[in-house]
Amino acid sequence: MKQEDQSGLLLLGVGGGGCRLAAAVKAAYGGGLRALGVDTDALSNRGAAAGGMTCLLLGGSRLAGHGTGGDAIQGRLAAQDDMENLTAHLEGVRTVVVTACLGGGTGGGATPEIVKRLHDMGLATVCFVTRPFGFEGDARLKAAERVLPMVEENADSMVVVPLDDLFGDAGGELLTDAIEKAEGLLAGGVTLLWRLLTKPGFIRLDPERLHAMVMKGGNARFGFGAAAGAGRAGQAVAALRAGRVLRSGDALAKANALMLGILAGPDLRLAEVGEVMQAVRDVCKRDCHVEMGTVLDPQFEGRLELVALAFESWTAALLPAEAAKGGTSSAEPPVAEAFPIQPGSRKGRGKSGSKLSFGATGRGKFQNVEPTIYKGEDLDVPTFMRRGITLER
Amino acid sequence: MAIPPIAALEIGSSRTVMCVGEADDSGRVKITGVGTYPTLGVRKGQVVELPQVKAGVEAAARQAEKLADVSIWQVLLAASGGHIQSVANEASQLIRSSDHVVTREDVEEVTENAKDVQIEADRQVLHTITQTFTVDDQPGIAKPEGMRCKRLALNIMAVHGLKNRIDNLVGVAKGAQLEVTDVAFSGICAALAVLTPEQKSNGVVLIDLGGGTTNYIAYCNNVITAVGCLAVGGDHVTNDIALAFNIPQTRAEELKRSEGSAMVDAESGGRRVPLPADIGFEERVISCRALHTVINARMHETFGVIRTKLDEAGALPHLGSGVVLTGGGAYLRKVTDLAQRVFGVPCRLGLPVNVDGLDGVEQPAALATAAGLVLYGRITYEDRGLFSPVKNILKGLFGR
Repeated sequence: MKQEDQSGLLLLGVGGGGCRLAAAVKAAYGGGLRALGVDTDALSNRGAAAGGMTCLLLGGSRLAGHGTGGDAIQGRLAAQDDMENLTAHLEGVRTVVVTACLGGGTGGGATPEIVKRLHDMGLATVCFVTRPFGFEGDARLKAAERVLPMVEENADSMVVVPLDDLFGDAGGELLTDAIEKAEGLLAGGVTLLWRLLTKPGFIRLDPERLHAMVMKGGNARFGFGAAAGAGRAGQAVAALRAGRVLRSGDALAKANALMLGILAGPDLRLAEVGEVMQAVRDVCKRDCHVEMGTVLDPQFEGRLELVALAFESWTAALLPAEAAKGGTSSAEPPVAEAFPIQPGSRKGRGKSGSKLSFGATGRGKFQNVEPTIYKGEDLDVPTFMRRGITLER
Repeated sequence: MAIPPIAALEIGSSRTVMCVGEADDSGRVKITGVGTYPTLGVRKGQVVELPQVKAGVEAAARQAEKLADVSIWQVLLAASGGHIQSVANEASQLIRSSDHVVTREDVEEVTENAKDVQIEADRQVLHTITQTFTVDDQPGIAKPEGMRCKRLALNIMAVHGLKNRIDNLVGVAKGAQLEVTDVAFSGICAALAVLTPEQKSNGVVLIDLGGGTTNYIAYCNNVITAVGCLAVGGDHVTNDIALAFNIPQTRAEELKRSEGSAMVDAESGGRRVPLPADIGFEERVISCRALHTVINARMHETFGVIRTKLDEAGALPHLGSGVVLTGGGAYLRKVTDLAQRVFGVPCRLGLPVNVDGLDGVEQPAALATAAGLVLYGRITYEDRGLFSPVKNILKGLFGR
C-alpha cells in the first residue's frame, strides 16, 4: 500500500462539480492521492475516470446513469441506493475531504446523505462545498442554501466557497473560462492542503492537527495566495489577503484560529517564513491561535504558496491545554474538558440544537409503544425525518 | 362432510374484521357475512387498551352475525405483530428397513422430529410449515413415500410469536364471549386467500400492507421460503403525514386516502391541497409534492427492509410471478409502481380470489386476511377436532 493511503485521507468528489474538482486536485497533486468520485451521471463519471480517478455510479438502478436532472430528492435516493458500495471504498480511511458543488441534484442531494453516513461511521469529514455563481439563478442558490445546514449537521468542518468570490473582477471573462478558473483556483487550494498533510516539510502539519483543528473549529474560510521570485514572501501574503474568498483579509482579521501552510522549494529561507508569519500576525487578531506548517518540494523552486484555513467560531477554551489554564469563556461543561474529544469519535461534539427542529422524538402516535428497531434505526420515527429530507412548503 | 359455518376474527390495528364463511362440497369457501368496526387500542398489531378492543370485537361480531344469520361463539383468530418470527428446522433419520423404501411411518416420524423446534419458553409456535424432503443427497422432494434411500431429511419452517401477546388477543375474544379455536399468522392467511397455485409454483412474494404491520410471505416451487412481519404499516404513513404537516391523525388519514401517492413524480409537482379549517386548526394549503415525498420515503423504506429480509432468506432471485400486494395499504396510489421499482420485478394488486362472496365489497384486498382465515379454518377443520384449541399442526398443507 502506498504511503499516502496510510495517511487515512480520502478525497471524495460528489456530483459532477465535485468530481471535476477532485479530478483537478488529483491531476495537480500527481500520483498517490487517494481519490474517489461519485456521481449519478455515467457520462461525467466516465470523464473523471479517464483522469485515473476511481469512480462510482450512484443510483444506477434508479436513474440508469442519466443523472438526476437537478432533482435533489433523486440524488438523495440514489446515494441511499448505493451507500453500501460507497462504504466498501472506505477501508482504512480516517479523514474524508468531501468536495461538492451545491445547487444541483447529486451535489445537493447525495452530499448530505453521504456526509451523514461518514459521520455515522465515525470518520472525520472536511467538506469543501461551493455555492453556485450568482448568474446560475436564484433557484440553484436557494437549493444550495437549503442543503448547507444538512451538510453542516454532520460535517466536522465545512468550508463554503461562494464561486462568485473566487474572482476579483470576472466581468470580462468567458463563461467557460470563469468556471474553469474557479475550479482551478479551488483545486489548487485543496491540492496545497493535501500536500501539506501528506508531504511534510520541516514543520509538520499532520493530518492529526488538521483533525484536531477542524473538530474544534467548525466552519472555516479558505484562502490561498502564491508568488514567485524575489520578495515572494511579502507578495504571497498580499495575494492571500487580497483574495475575495477571505473577504479581502477581513476573514483573517476576524479569525480566532488560523491554519497556515507554506509550500515552497528547498530554497525557502528562515527569514521568509518569519516574514510570512509576521505579515499574517499583523493582520490577525492578537490572540489568534496560529498553526503553521511547511512543505518543501523541489518543484516549487523559487515559488512560494500559502494556504490558509481561517476558523471564526474556534474557541480557545475548547483546547484541552488552554482549558487547563482556566479559560473563563468555556462553552462546554467541565466534563467535556476533562475528557477531550478524541479524533474519530465525534458523537460528543456539542452542537447547540439540531438544524431540524424535530429530532429523534418525532414518534407521534407511537409515543408509548414498544419501538420497532431495525438496524439501529427507530422505524416509528418518520422516515423523512430520519433521512433529513426537506419538504417543499 | 358438511362443515358448520366458520367465523374468523382479525383484530387489525386500524379495524376489526369478523368474517363468516361456509364451505361447499368442492372445498371452496363462500363468505356470507362480514362485520367491520374501527379498532381503537391496538398499535402495531398489539393490544394496548383491552376494553376498547373488546367493544370493537363485539360490534364487528354482531354485524357479521346479522348478515350471515348465524350466532358466533367460536372463532379463529389472526395474529400479527413485530414479535412474530420464523425459524427453519431440520430433522433426519435413517431408513432401517431392509429394502430402504420410505414408508408412511418414516415420513410421519421425521415430521414429528422436525416439528420439535427449540424456541424460548415465552414463545409459542403458531405454524410448522413443511418445506421439502431430502432423500439421501437429493433435495427438493415433496413426497418421498415409496422412494428408496438410506437417509431421509425434512426441512420445516416454524412461525412463532410471544405467548403473552397472543394470549392478549385471545383474551380480548374471550372477553367478548367468543371461544378461540385456533390462532394463525395473518400473513399466511392472506396468502391462502390471494395467491394462486401458479404463482406459488413460479415464485412470488405476497406483501400484506396492514394498518399497524406489514406481513410478507415468499413462495418458490410451492414451498414457503420466507415469512415474517415488520411492525410498520399504514398507521406509520399516517403518523408521518401528521407530523410532517402538523395536523391531527384523522386529517392525515383522510389526506393519505384522498391525495396520497407512493411515488413522487410529475403528477405531484406544483399541485397544492387545501385543508379546511377546524376547531383549533387554521385553514392552510399543503404541497402535494411534499405529501408524496413523505409517503414515498416511508413506503420505499418499508419495501427496502422487506427486500433485505428476503435477500437474507435467499428468496429474492426466485420471484417468477413477481410481487403481489394486498391489505388496505395496497390501495395507496402507485404503491405497485414503487414496489416494482424496489424489487425489480412486476408487481400487482392481489385480491382474495380463492374465496367467493366478496364481489360487492369495496376494497376486497383489505379483507384478504380475514377471508383467508376462513379458508384456513376449512382446511384445518379435520385436524383441529380434538386437539388443543390454540396450538395447531399443519400437516404439510403448504408443502404441496
